[in-house]
Amino acid sequence: MIKYKNMSIDSNLFSKRNRVLLGELVKTDFKLRYQGSVLGYLWALIKPLLMFAILYVVFSQILRFGDKIDHYPVYLLVGTVLWSFFTECTQQGIHAIEQRGELLRKINFPKYIVVLSATSTAVINVLINLCVVVIFALISGISPSWSWLLVPLSLLELYALALGVSLLLGAINVKFRDIGNIWDVLMQAMFYAIPIIYPLSMVAERSALAAKIILLNPIAQAIQDIRHNLITTQAETTWGELHFWAIIPIVIVVAVFIVSIFYFRRKSKYFAEEA
Amino acid sequence: MKWSDRYLKKMKSAAEKEALDNSISIEVKNLHKSFKLPTERSWGLKQAIFNRLKGVKGYRKQEVLRGISFDVKKGEFLGIVGRNGSGKSTLLKTLSEIYVPDSGSIKINGTLVPFIELGVGFNPELTGRENVYLNGALLGFSNSEMDEMYEEIVKFAELEQFMDQKLKNYSSGMQVRLAFSIAIRAHGDILILDEVLAVGDAAFQEKCNDYFKSLHGNQTVILVTHSMENVMRFCDRAILIEDGKIACEGKPEKVTKAYNALWQ
Repeated sequence: MIKYKNMSIDSNLFSKRNRVLLGELVKTDFKLRYQGSVLGYLWALIKPLLMFAILYVVFSQILRFGDKIDHYPVYLLVGTVLWSFFTECTQQGIHAIEQRGELLRKINFPKYIVVLSATSTAVINVLINLCVVVIFALISGISPSWSWLLVPLSLLELYALALGVSLLLGAINVKFRDIGNIWDVLMQAMFYAIPIIYPLSMVAERSALAAKIILLNPIAQAIQDIRHNLITTQAETTWGELHFWAIIPIVIVVAVFIVSIFYFRRKSKYFAEEA
Repeated sequence: MKWSDRYLKKMKSAAEKEALDNSISIEVKNLHKSFKLPTERSWGLKQAIFNRLKGVKGYRKQEVLRGISFDVKKGEFLGIVGRNGSGKSTLLKTLSEIYVPDSGSIKINGTLVPFIELGVGFNPELTGRENVYLNGALLGFSNSEMDEMYEEIVKFAELEQFMDQKLKNYSSGMQVRLAFSIAIRAHGDILILDEVLAVGDAAFQEKCNDYFKSLHGNQTVILVTHSMENVMRFCDRAILIEDGKIACEGKPEKVTKAYNALWQ
């Protein structure tokens, strides 16, 4: 029998070979990430906690943003944890192809594996951080409820968006290195356009329309849903405010994801020449 | 192209593959490959938009392979020689499916293990053992396949005591020995090597030479080299590439002569 091993196996997304390779790359990234630092992997935990401490002092204690919301510190923590997940994911993902260019020029393997492995550290981090969130939630007197089970769905949505953005912009970034920088600035702006440090009610008081527009952003929608299901039903959700129009953020995520996969597949053949 | 067309094309190429003779390892037909080389600073968004507006292409087309055809039989040791920039490495990279050809076809019968460079993905911060498994995964081997090969690789590299040390603590000779051992111990049907023979000290060289001689007839190898000595010693057949075309093909003696004639 003739055995063919066609190396361009993009169609076979989760073949054994690809899973092994993804596993090895994730392991390597994970080992190397915090190497040489005294606290090592603890930094993955400490960084968001310190970030949270700063935001807590500034926005909860000094500016008193959260006086009307129950468990505001945990509410704030969820926001920062999810936001840093999204930024870390996309920033690593967009530069993945460019950074692994050396590898792509020497050997052929499905390129999406590089992007997946680059985002994996962010995924591991957010899972650990969410455990911290749950502990904080229990300490501050939130009792577990069935709605917690919906959290992974929103998390998956957020990851799908981050992955879509990474594949799409990462593929463009191979040729136009400006994209990475533009995205960094865009994320800075986005940070203030999403109710992470301020409660949405603050916006709604001035302009109900602005609050609704904010909720059309899939990142805002996912974060608010997780807050709603995990911490307090005071957190406004896109579904609760906009009803039928809540389909828009979902459509955005699906569209970005599908477009990115097609675009990435088309461009990935030439990464070895262009990266 | 319509979806249906694309599907038909896929089916057709699959059918063609099936038709490949069992005694042939690789069949290359009329292979063309060109690159778009940026003429000036056309990298970046600004220049791209600028070029688009002015109708300037911003790149020059460089034809590297211009119609290459050859077969490699099963168990054959094929040498590829040629000047720098003649297209040897591009040919190997196209065979290894790192580059997509512009036109022409490549049929491969069996698993192909390419070594365009030794130690691809080697990381100085990882141990020797970790690097072997990472390199193996990149070449398409599973962990259990690597487990089988691991002892052999380490033994051939003579690095038994160093496998749990970080690679950055290896001497450069040791690093290359490890990488080379993975290359020749990797059990693929077709082995592709790009100028990677001159490795290690005299004793290690001797060992490698013996190993290559023992491969004779059992393993399909494609070797790119500048050493006519190696062509004469190992190869059953050789190809001289000049300017993206095959200038001479046949017995090592004949090709060596043609290669040497290039410099006169």
